[in-house]
Amino acid sequence: MRSRISENEFLKKAFQDVYLAKERDDIGDLRHSQVMRRVRQAGPLKSAMGFWPSFEHLVWRLAPVCCLLLLLLGVLLANMDFDRGYDYLGTVTADMEKPTLSELYGLEG
Amino acid sequence: MKNDPCSSSDTDIVRQVLDGNVNAFELVINRYKALVVKIVSKHVPRNDVEETVQDAFVRAYLSLATFAGKSDFSQWLSAVALRTCYDFWRKAYRSREVPMSVITDKHRDWLEEVLSGESEESRREAGLRSEAKELLEYALGTLSPEDRMVLELVYLEGLSVKEAANRLGWSTANVKVRSFRSRRKLEKLLRGIRQQEGRAS
Repeated sequence: MRSRISENEFLKKAFQDVYLAKERDDIGDLRHSQVMRRVRQAGPLKSAMGFWPSFEHLVWRLAPVCCLLLLLLGVLLANMDFDRGYDYLGTVTADMEKPTLSELYGLEG
Repeated sequence: MKNDPCSSSDTDIVRQVLDGNVNAFELVINRYKALVVKIVSKHVPRNDVEETVQDAFVRAYLSLATFAGKSDFSQWLSAVALRTCYDFWRKAYRSREVPMSVITDKHRDWLEEVLSGESEESRREAGLRSEAKELLEYALGTLSPEDRMVLELVYLEGLSVKEAANRLGWSTANVKVRSFRSRRKLEKLLRGIRQQEGRAS
């Protein structure tokens, strides 16, 4: 197996030395005034979050629960016997209709 | 008696800023200027350090509300500074303003010299030579901003994949893949340079 050039310890060390030599503690005069001007332009921050934004961090945590509930609902709907319920509704409405109309016009009883 | 603002804890200062005291943010700048400069200076070119440091502080200010106070403030600010550096490179690549060095025979000679590991003295001086700097800049310039950041953190700084992922706010799997890919690209590039030398001589 060919040895890796990039893993050569001398080369790696040389590159690391170059990289770390770029590190500086100070850049002379960081213009605080410029940073603060930009900060002031942005205006004061709003710490007090509204009612809904405070729940934002929960959205992704609750996503799996929502998916599970949707799945359960789907299974429940797939297994539901709609025909029987429809027949029952038909019977009830037919029964209600007949006496009401006959009572209203005085045709029966 | 009024509290000395310099002795206030980071959390107190953050609270003050969030309560609308914009000037309190100057304490954050004074306290963490050195840290942010240290991070930024390693990742961006010398001429762009000051502007990127400013950007990092403004970004930190704007996202201060996301600092939950669970972690150390300096750690949070370091991550913000690092992401600002990443954005710097994204912008630079988009506008094609990435400085590229030209590889010449002196770089190839330097590479051969280091790989042969001849003398102790030459090994010690290897990292101080301008060829090393230019070759590294050339190699980093060929990578995408994402691969560049990962290579700098994992290969050059020696951070673990998990640490790098935490700092960049990326998944560990993403950093692992990018680390592997960027090292492979670096390897290919160095081999190419060596082969060119072989052909030239």
